[in-house]
Amino acid sequence: MNRLPAGLYQPGDSVVHRLDAAAKLLCLLLLLAAVVNTAAPAGYGVWVLLLALLIRLARIPPRTALASAAGLGWFFLLILLMNLCFYAPEQAWVSVWIFRPSSAGLLQGLRVAARVFLLLVMSNVLMVSTPPLALTGAFERLLSPLRFIGVPTELAAMILSVAIQFIPTLLEETDGIRKAQTARGARFDSPNLWEKGKAVLPLLAPVFVAAFQRADELSLAMEARGYRADIRRGRKKYPPFRACDWLALSLCAAAAVIFIIIR
Amino acid sequence: MSVELRNVSCVYAPGTPYETRAVTELSLTIRDGEFAGVMGKTGCGKSTMIQLIAGLMRPSGGQILLDGQDINGKNFDRDGLRRRVGVVFQFPEIQLFETTVKRDVAFGLRHFGWTEEEKESSVREALERMGFSYEAVKDKSPLGFSGGEKRRLAVAGVLAARPELLILDEPLAGLDPLGREALLTLLGELNRDGTTILMVSHDADTLAEYADRIILLKDGRLFRDGPAAEVFADYDALKDNGIGVCRVREAAEALRRRGWEIPAGTVRYGQLLDEIAGRWRQ
Ligand SMILES: Nc1ncnc2c1ncn2[C@@H]1O[C@H](COP(=O)(O)OP(=O)(O)O)[C@@H](O)[C@H]1O
Ligand SMILES: [Mg+2]
Repeated sequence: MNRLPAGLYQPGDSVVHRLDAAAKLLCLLLLLAAVVNTAAPAGYGVWVLLLALLIRLARIPPRTALASAAGLGWFFLLILLMNLCFYAPEQAWVSVWIFRPSSAGLLQGLRVAARVFLLLVMSNVLMVSTPPLALTGAFERLLSPLRFIGVPTELAAMILSVAIQFIPTLLEETDGIRKAQTARGARFDSPNLWEKGKAVLPLLAPVFVAAFQRADELSLAMEARGYRADIRRGRKKYPPFRACDWLALSLCAAAAVIFIIIR
Repeated sequence: MSVELRNVSCVYAPGTPYETRAVTELSLTIRDGEFAGVMGKTGCGKSTMIQLIAGLMRPSGGQILLDGQDINGKNFDRDGLRRRVGVVFQFPEIQLFETTVKRDVAFGLRHFGWTEEEKESSVREALERMGFSYEAVKDKSPLGFSGGEKRRLAVAGVLAARPELLILDEPLAGLDPLGREALLTLLGELNRDGTTILMVSHDADTLAEYADRIILLKDGRLFRDGPAAEVFADYDALKDNGIGVCRVREAAEALRRRGWEIPAGTVRYGQLLDEIAGRWRQ
């Protein structure tokens, strides 16, 4: 693993890095709402430009930003083909067995693929530019109103933050096990799909065992240090949004409104 | 099997804020049949170096040659490399996954084109070498054993392929004294039978006892390289770099300073005892 996994936080001091995590999360939601409501192909052209601008502002290497969508070529192709063949059967050019390809289907396929792509890359920019703990803090903050209707938001946030902190450890462990099994003759990189498939068990079985062991140890350690899920802790104070946070929110809200209105 | 590193470098996550130079312009040679010990502070690149040698990662620069052949060259036989080089990773017990001990130990042998009899005899020999009775354990689940036993099972899984080069990454960490002794004795035997051994350890006294040669790394570079007596002579350099000192050598030196005639370069425990006993009798 000479390369880093997609979505790993990369410290920086760009405008995007400095935004409040909760504001960033809201911005992402607004942008996603706008993306999903974009219908015109030209609209997607605009989105690609905006995305490029965002990546530039965040000063993230383009390769890092696009890493979440890289390697999903097959997935995009599948989306495209499914829509092409099944989306608008009544306008089909030809009909072969159950397949009814149409130009409306092609357009829809491109649209959906573009949405998924934008969604993946935008979320990735958020993950790469925000420390994981700030991100879980933001979740907790945005969910905190739900406390009033009895949702255990603190607990949810704790679970989320523990899970997120586990990811790098698990990735590291997976990488170690993959190397150990490779050294023993497992063939993860074989072009032969059958060989590849057979290599899954030697990898996954130890990873699961390790994950459960870790979870066990961690829960013991947390209890030993006095953590109790049923004790209420004091309310957290969140810093108020600053001018730049409000500015980012307004821009994203404006984008959402514009795209939803003109579609 | 001989190993040669020529100017090898390895960088993790290049071009990101996490960029780490784990190994830098490292050159060294390990001769066929040698028992080499590798030491150095945590994070100095020991694990990276052995993964490079085992062909599990590509170096960012330089060449790695096994028996004179570049392992990252175009025509290199990588399946052959897997068979001829065995790696015992840190905490190898985690790699056990099969339903029975026999299947797990035989896991590495699937691609070698061995007959069932050859496989079985190799598995039997590896398990017996690690102190198990083949008949008693072969059909048990490997996950049901204790920590130390699992470690021995995992090592058996590596030995079953009869590697010519055996690489071990801190294999003694967390073993009880009996387990340590047994593993070290086994490594000594394998080495006598011609297996080249490369072992990472923090225990200077153990390496002094078993290794022909000590390789010290510091910040990904070669810091010292030579026989234990020579490398461990530099007490201050070892201390300052957080590398364990060889207590036997320190004891020998202390006695020498008090006028005992103990040869310089005494690093083995047995050697020191003999010297002391010899002096006593006089
Ligand atoms: N998978 C990895 N990704 C990024 N950096 C790594 C990885 N593995 C090791 N490193 C870094 O490379 C350096 C050398 O590590 P390693 O070879 O494991 O040292 P050692 O085994 O001597 O403790 C350390 O600084 C470590 O943080
Ligand atoms: Mg290590």
